[in-house]
Amino acid sequence: MKNKIRVFRALHNLTQEQLADRVGVTRQTVNAIESNKYLPSLGLAFKIAKLFNAKIEDIFIDEEGDYEK
Amino acid sequence: MNKKRYLQIRALVALFVATMMAIAVSNHSFLLALTTLLTGMALMVLVRLQANIKLDEREIALREKAAHLTYAIFAPTIGLGAVIMLIPTQGGFEVFSKGEFLYIESLGMILAYLSLFMIVVYSLSYFFLNRKYGGSGDEK
Repeated sequence: MKNKIRVFRALHNLTQEQLADRVGVTRQTVNAIESNKYLPSLGLAFKIAKLFNAKIEDIFIDEEGDYEK
Repeated sequence: MNKKRYLQIRALVALFVATMMAIAVSNHSFLLALTTLLTGMALMVLVRLQANIKLDEREIALREKAAHLTYAIFAPTIGLGAVIMLIPTQGGFEVFSKGEFLYIESLGMILAYLSLFMIVVYSLSYFFLNRKYGGSGDEK
């Protein structure tokens, strides 16, 4: 699963810390999601999408074999 | 209090508890050990409440994985340890059933019951969590 959080964050002029505070997680979690080391829960994915005023599928890109991890 | 300060204080409390426990063990003082344990627990709770540490979903997932890994390593290890300690005494080697080797059988029994206890706790937790998260399989 790839994501465009870094791009959306830059568009909204937010740091990892600010994004983390807005969605109620730690900066480390945002960093882990951005570097594709951690898959966020559906709830967190919705929160991030809502914050950026975008659809989940615009931010998170499904790739074949993701669900087998 | 930020997370760094919280971790520093937690390490200090752990150091204090470890030192006091070592003193209690060397002096054979049960009361000191108990007091230290209770004080350590109270301090940890107080620090935790003061710190107001954010626990997010990644941290929870990490803890779940770490707990599972600990179980997956620890249960077979103590089970195997129990078997290794019980085989000589159960296998008819008289030398292991008396004198200085007597404690090996007792230790083996303790480890065996401990591994059984762990498996029972794991099974019960799995059963109740499975029910809680809708894994009963009943179709409505």
